Amino acid sequence: MKYIITIVAFIGIALLILLAKAISNSELISGDSFRILLGLNILFICSLIGLIAVQIFRLLQSVKKEITGSRLTLRLVLSFALMGIIPVLIVYLVSVNFLTKSIESWFDVKVESALEGGLTLGQKTIDILMSDIELKGKSIAYSIGNSDPEQRDSLLTDLRAKFGIQDAVIFDQDSIIIGVSSDKNDLIPPIPNIEDLERGQQGFFGRIEEVKGDQIYLKTFTPIISKSAMSKRLILQLTQPIPPSITNLALSVESVYDEYQQLTYSRNSLKIIYILTLTLVVLLALLSSVAASFVISRKFSAPLAMLADATKQISKGNYKKIITYQGKDEIGILVSSFNSMTLQLGQATRNSEKNRERVEVARTFLETILAHLTTGVIVLDDKKIIQLNNISASLMLINKKVTMKNKPMNEIMATNLLFKPMYDFVESYIDNNKSNKKEASREFKLDKDKQERTIMLQITPLIDNKGKSYVLVIDDISEVTQSQRHSAWGEVARRLAHEIKNPLTPIQLSAERIQHKFKDKLSKEDSNILERSTNTIVNQVNALKIMVNEFAEYARPPKIQKDIIRIDTLIEEVIDLYEIDNIINIKKDNNIPIIYADQNKLRQVIINLLENSQDALKEIKKPKIKIFIKKKVNEVQVVVEDNGSGIPDEIIGRIFEPYVTSKKTGTGLGLAVVYKIIEEHEGRIKIDRIKNSGTRVTIMLKIGKK
Amino acid sequence: MTDCFMRFFKKIKIKIKIIIVLFISLLLVIGNTFTLSNERKIIINDVVISKNSDLYNLSFNQEIKLDYLIREAINKAIPLVFKLTLKVVKLNEIFPAKTIKKEVRYYEIEYKTLRKIYRIIDINEQRHEYKKMDEAIQKMLKIEGLEFSFVDEGMDYELWVNVSLERKKLPKPLQVNFFNQTWSINSGDSIHKIGTLD
Repeated sequence: MKYIITIVAFIGIALLILLAKAISNSELISGDSFRILLGLNILFICSLIGLIAVQIFRLLQSVKKEITGSRLTLRLVLSFALMGIIPVLIVYLVSVNFLTKSIESWFDVKVESALEGGLTLGQKTIDILMSDIELKGKSIAYSIGNSDPEQRDSLLTDLRAKFGIQDAVIFDQDSIIIGVSSDKNDLIPPIPNIEDLERGQQGFFGRIEEVKGDQIYLKTFTPIISKSAMSKRLILQLTQPIPPSITNLALSVESVYDEYQQLTYSRNSLKIIYILTLTLVVLLALLSSVAASFVISRKFSAPLAMLADATKQISKGNYKKIITYQGKDEIGILVSSFNSMTLQLGQATRNSEKNRERVEVARTFLETILAHLTTGVIVLDDKKIIQLNNISASLMLINKKVTMKNKPMNEIMATNLLFKPMYDFVESYIDNNKSNKKEASREFKLDKDKQERTIMLQITPLIDNKGKSYVLVIDDISEVTQSQRHSAWGEVARRLAHEIKNPLTPIQLSAERIQHKFKDKLSKEDSNILERSTNTIVNQVNALKIMVNEFAEYARPPKIQKDIIRIDTLIEEVIDLYEIDNIINIKKDNNIPIIYADQNKLRQVIINLLENSQDALKEIKKPKIKIFIKKKVNEVQVVVEDNGSGIPDEIIGRIFEPYVTSKKTGTGLGLAVVYKIIEEHEGRIKIDRIKNSGTRVTIMLKIGKK
Repeated sequence: MTDCFMRFFKKIKIKIKIIIVLFISLLLVIGNTFTLSNERKIIINDVVISKNSDLYNLSFNQEIKLDYLIREAINKAIPLVFKLTLKVVKLNEIFPAKTIKKEVRYYEIEYKTLRKIYRIIDINEQRHEYKKMDEAIQKMLKIEGLEFSFVDEGMDYELWVNVSLERKKLPKPLQVNFFNQTWSINSGDSIHKIGTLD
């Protein structure tokens, strides 16, 4: 389209030049070429209007469709058009006014009066000359009419010469020349006009005759009235030139006057044609400039539209958009800078994306770690609102695997009386931590689910660019403390065994020796007393020995001899030793896998558990012991259940500790030994109260591998 | 062709239709404005064609509607030159008529301001002067003794007589004022059979 507009603009300029030349060229203006040129110009103007209309229509369509750059193009076109139209219109109106006034000024009343005066003066002069010749003609005619025909020629010559007439000719009524006289010798009288002669016969008749356009003659016809009634009627023709000085002036005035009259007559046409031409020129110039404004506007707006489009693309994340504009102007520099900025932005975005991915990976890694931590982690802001927590924290505090994010800490901890001391500690720490003191930690003993749990709460302040926050680390250290207690008990047991066991044998031997030596030497009554006393000592020493042996077993160093065993077979062998096998019910899965363990130690475990159950079932009417052997993933589960009296809630949390027992006669070391053996096999043991009555012990042992 | 145009016209949008109709209307108005009106202001009558040997002689009268503008123009010393065109056309039943002779003569009327006379220069370039405009016009309208000849092949011929005001001889401003139809004076072709004059 821009090529069409450019071509049209060139044609317009060419037509303008031709029109201007035609106006100044009288040959062109008088011919059909001017009409054709005018028609072409008007046709061209119509074409331009059509072209501009199409362009405006397209532009408005583009604006309606919100095509990038169309609004800017429209604005530029309007600006260019207004810049062209307003001054050209002003110039046009002033020119039309000036043209009209100028043409009107040509026709001044004074000029017209002067010209009329000049013309009248010439006419009067000619009239005077005509009157003079009339008088002379009448005088000559009278003299000739009263003279003899023989003297006619000489009289004519004399009178012509006397009156200073150039030519004198006498015609008869048949236009035959009767006499001639001239101051030129070579006069050949022209044949008179019949009309002139006819009018001359009726009376004096004079007329002005132009010859070759620059000489005026006065020609008069005067009838000659003869005194003889029989003679023919004659006509005297006098020809007298008007002096050249008068002739030239009169003709000049006439010419100017005629031109002036013609101009006066055609001034409206003159105005119309000049205004029409001016209008065409203005229209051509205006429309060409408007048409050109489309090309220029598009040229200006194209790189800006590309910039806007590229900006949109970048806002959508496409940093590969490069503008191909190659201009060397400011827009070119802008485009170049934009391209450079886009490249840098793309690079920065890619780097940012990589960093974000790294952060995301790190965050995911951290979240994974936090999720898999058995330790609860909570991050609080300075308003005690939870910003982050892991699953373990949720499980510990609300027993649900849900996030506690954006919830106030007091809502979580303070409402549960169990955690109230912990919240008080946290609140106190945060409220009093204006001096950014270091981390603090405290142990809390909680009775959770009727079990005593030891919770370690550690709080650490964090200061970053978002402000101050606090990291709470909540750790259930019950098993650690329990393990510590077991170790302590082991040490105690080992010392006790060592210190007590040694004197027991001499005590027993001494008691038996006393009995043996003094039994027969004492009276029967004293002998009985001695026997009972020494028996008591021996029995108590034996009891002490058993107790010491159990202590020794508990306190022995962890030394196990592992071998491949089948736990189900082992359990069945142990049950066979007891006479209570009728109350024992075993259920086991098929293909229980082998384990790698110390057979004697595990036998000890089974025996201890069965003895405990047996003790618990002494006063139960329908005693039952159920043993389940199940195959689990990488483990073998052994469950021993009884419907006995169960373990009181007060001690169930510490039941694996030495000297913790519900039995009146027990040492309190059976379950402690069981716990120790299972721990040495890297297994797990758990003891629960069954809802109505009874106890369930669950042991998990790893499937055997050397 | 018409069907194609109508199909095209039905398909295009109403806005484009309006633009096309306006454009065509504009062209028609402009074309009409620039086309010379052929209003017949000269009536040729009393045509007499006589033949003497090979020479034809034509006489006729004219009636011209000269309005006050033209009379004023004459009084303003604007010469009016009329162009008389004679065409002898050979008729043929099969082929189109063929012009075998064309002759152009001029006659004019002019007011001489200095002498206050109306001068007629007739088709034979003879000058006649009159004091009154009507007399001069009457003289000018009567065409007599227009002789012409052509090679008569014994066919049927027509004589086409046309009289028009020669606009090119007018002052320039009047020539280019296409909007003024006063100066479009034309008789149209007055056609007469001349084949059977013998």
